[in-house]
Amino acid sequence: MLEESKMEKKLLFRASNITKVFAGTRALKGVDLDIYEGEVVGLIGENGAGKSTLLKIIIGVQPQTQGEMTMFGKPYEPKTPRDANGAGIGMVFQEQSLIVNLTVGQNIFFGQEKKFRKYGFVNWKKMYKDTETALENVSCSHIPARKKVLDLNFATRQMVEIAKVVNLTRSSGHDHCLILLDEPTSVLNETEVQQLFTEIRKLTAQGHSVVFVSHRLDEILAISDRVYVYKDGENAGNMPTADADEAKLYEMMVGHSTTTEYYKLDQQRKPDPEAVLDIKNLGLHGVFKNVSFKLNKGEILGIVGVVGSGKEDICSVICGDEHPTFGEMYVKGEKRTYFSPAQALSDGVLMIPKERMEEGIVSGLSVNENIAMSNVRLLRSGPFLSSKKMVGQSDEWIKRLRIKTAGKDELLARLSGGNQQKVVFARALCSQSDILILNHPTRGVDVGAKEEIYGLIRDMVKQGKSVILLGDTLDECIGMSNRIIVMCDGLVTGEFDAPVEDKPTQVSVVSLMM
Amino acid sequence: MMNSLNLSIARKASIKKNLMHYISFLAIFILVLVFTAMDKSFVNQANLKNLLSDTAPLMVMAAGMTFVILLGSIDLSTGAVCSVANVLVVKYIAEFSDKMENVYIAAALAYLIAVAFGLFAGLIIGVLQAKLKLPSFIASLGLMSVWKSVALLITEAPVSIPKKSWGTIGWSRINFGLIGLPLVLALSLIIFYYILQTKTVFGKSVMAIGGNERAARMAGMNINKTKILAFVLNGFCAALGGIFLAAKLKSSAPTVGDSFTLLVIASVALGGTALLGGKGSLLGTILGVFTVSIIRNGMNIVGVDVFWQNIVFGLVVLCAIAITSDRSGRSLVVK
Repeated sequence: MLEESKMEKKLLFRASNITKVFAGTRALKGVDLDIYEGEVVGLIGENGAGKSTLLKIIIGVQPQTQGEMTMFGKPYEPKTPRDANGAGIGMVFQEQSLIVNLTVGQNIFFGQEKKFRKYGFVNWKKMYKDTETALENVSCSHIPARKKVLDLNFATRQMVEIAKVVNLTRSSGHDHCLILLDEPTSVLNETEVQQLFTEIRKLTAQGHSVVFVSHRLDEILAISDRVYVYKDGENAGNMPTADADEAKLYEMMVGHSTTTEYYKLDQQRKPDPEAVLDIKNLGLHGVFKNVSFKLNKGEILGIVGVVGSGKEDICSVICGDEHPTFGEMYVKGEKRTYFSPAQALSDGVLMIPKERMEEGIVSGLSVNENIAMSNVRLLRSGPFLSSKKMVGQSDEWIKRLRIKTAGKDELLARLSGGNQQKVVFARALCSQSDILILNHPTRGVDVGAKEEIYGLIRDMVKQGKSVILLGDTLDECIGMSNRIIVMCDGLVTGEFDAPVEDKPTQVSVVSLMM
Repeated sequence: MMNSLNLSIARKASIKKNLMHYISFLAIFILVLVFTAMDKSFVNQANLKNLLSDTAPLMVMAAGMTFVILLGSIDLSTGAVCSVANVLVVKYIAEFSDKMENVYIAAALAYLIAVAFGLFAGLIIGVLQAKLKLPSFIASLGLMSVWKSVALLITEAPVSIPKKSWGTIGWSRINFGLIGLPLVLALSLIIFYYILQTKTVFGKSVMAIGGNERAARMAGMNINKTKILAFVLNGFCAALGGIFLAAKLKSSAPTVGDSFTLLVIASVALGGTALLGGKGSLLGTILGVFTVSIIRNGMNIVGVDVFWQNIVFGLVVLCAIAITSDRSGRSLVVK
């Protein structure tokens, strides 16, 4: 039955044997991708597997080194994203490209204002009318065309982007188009994700096709019709989603099957009774208040809550990035107020920030220099830095964390996301800090690297370090933590013990988050 | 086959990385050829000596500016600080030598006052930028105006260094063949700064802050201290430049530094330091300084009008920045 319906469908796009060489490294080693009309194709693979590279080639940001692509059965060789749009292919980039202080209509027709010129002025009325048509085409007529993007939530913004891309590709004269979505859900919450899925299904019902890239296997399983798996720049196979499950996909991605010890529960240790961090009635004006908790030596303390619950702000305060307005903080028994992360670091408190690109790495510096950022002081011999110590340190950590890089002098910009995150971890580990705040340490990192990071966190606490963890998912937070604090609207609403044998259920935790 | 492809790509990348240094060397070579062709006297001993001694104050000032630009900041008040230091030195050498027996102690005091002023001026802009978060461009533009007037106010009437004190500035006339002591001092200073850049916590912090200030802060680097120190080092260099010029001219010149601001920034940019910060080297600055010096000296030799010279330098700065700036980043925002 399934086979039959697939036979009926027309091939829309085909990429065969695509190879891409970057400055000597082969990012893609001959991958294939077939897309039929009206289907959602999920694309998965670890960081550095080549998903993003392939998308960039399809959309014309960069050319392939070898291989051919066809669209509607004709050869397809885009030089720029504009060429791609002309051929009926559009992409919504990982980072949102809308200009938030413009309206929906202005964004959708951004760069095409000439079409609406009347006596040298823009005919806004016509533009907004066309906007409404464009939104209707993607079944989103509920989005107000004149509203500023600033006032929309992320899922709606995503739909505006999709509407923009669909409109661009449709104006090329093709009925059916191919939309590439590069991790569209990374900025969305649960309800928004569902909203996006509904919209995607509406699109495919009209015969458009969607390529959906995500790190979250559950999402891939929920939305896609077929799944392609890439591993190290090669085809690792593809299958109808109906035949797939998480364990199977995971096995294809990393090459070995998922284990029940995903969160390494057997390594979860009992924390020492000694409190290294004691927070009393801490508050930040207008953000959170009356937050009190203790962090024991060797403990992993998870803080959960929705975006805006104040959990991230607590971390900023503890690591010295922000100055609290109320309350007291005792670090290793001594009262402390920090005005900068540098002060916190001298007490052994360090945060691994959430936004890797903006706050975590210096992409223009080498792996070596990035690793040494938090402990340069310790690498001195006399007044000068010892390059021997620095190089030794980098070599050691590159090996220990298995950071994939051409060498310690490679610029960080050239590493894949997961490896960049490992560099940030290496920096934190060699900083000799013993109170580590991990703010979404596995954000945007593939399954394999995730597991390694979980292992690292377990090792940290084994060595007597203490960890405050803001998990990427609730599951992760419950799985990793000894204890969990739940926050809602700037207040602590609950606390759970989470020993290995008695982990709280997600439902019980979520009920306190809302 | 794959291997040779990889090699050639790697080689291309490294050539591109060092492009600026090749261009600098090439530019110096071509400029020397062109000026020599236009006027033989460009390469005679007297002119080369002159050229090299003119280079010293520029090199001193460019050394300090390199740190500021590596941070991604800029200091437009450098020239004005240099002027103030210049008039201070001359004023106090003249004043103290009247009151004191030993002209050398008098001169040393005058030097100290000028240097102290330079450190102070650097401290002010550093604090304004780091603590009060004023953009260094605006802060230094305002301070430039302040220091320019201060220099003129100090100099009620032009003062010359009295004859009996000439011994105290004699160091600037010591030569080793073609190369004078000021250039040797300037080169030593720049080498010292190069060691600061590559071998100290301060230098690594400057590069990290210039590359991504937010990340440097979150990693626990000392942002404010580093920034202020960079500006103080720059102020020190500007004052040193003023002292070098005073020793050379023997009299106070309250506008002597004005033209230097542009030349200093041109030298640093030509040396391959990115104006957005985080990329560059003091060694490149040496090349940039020589390039600028040769253009300036060459234009004098072949008789280019002073006003035209400024047009040339304006264009040189624009070209240098256009060549060195990295436009590949998709997140690049220029305001």
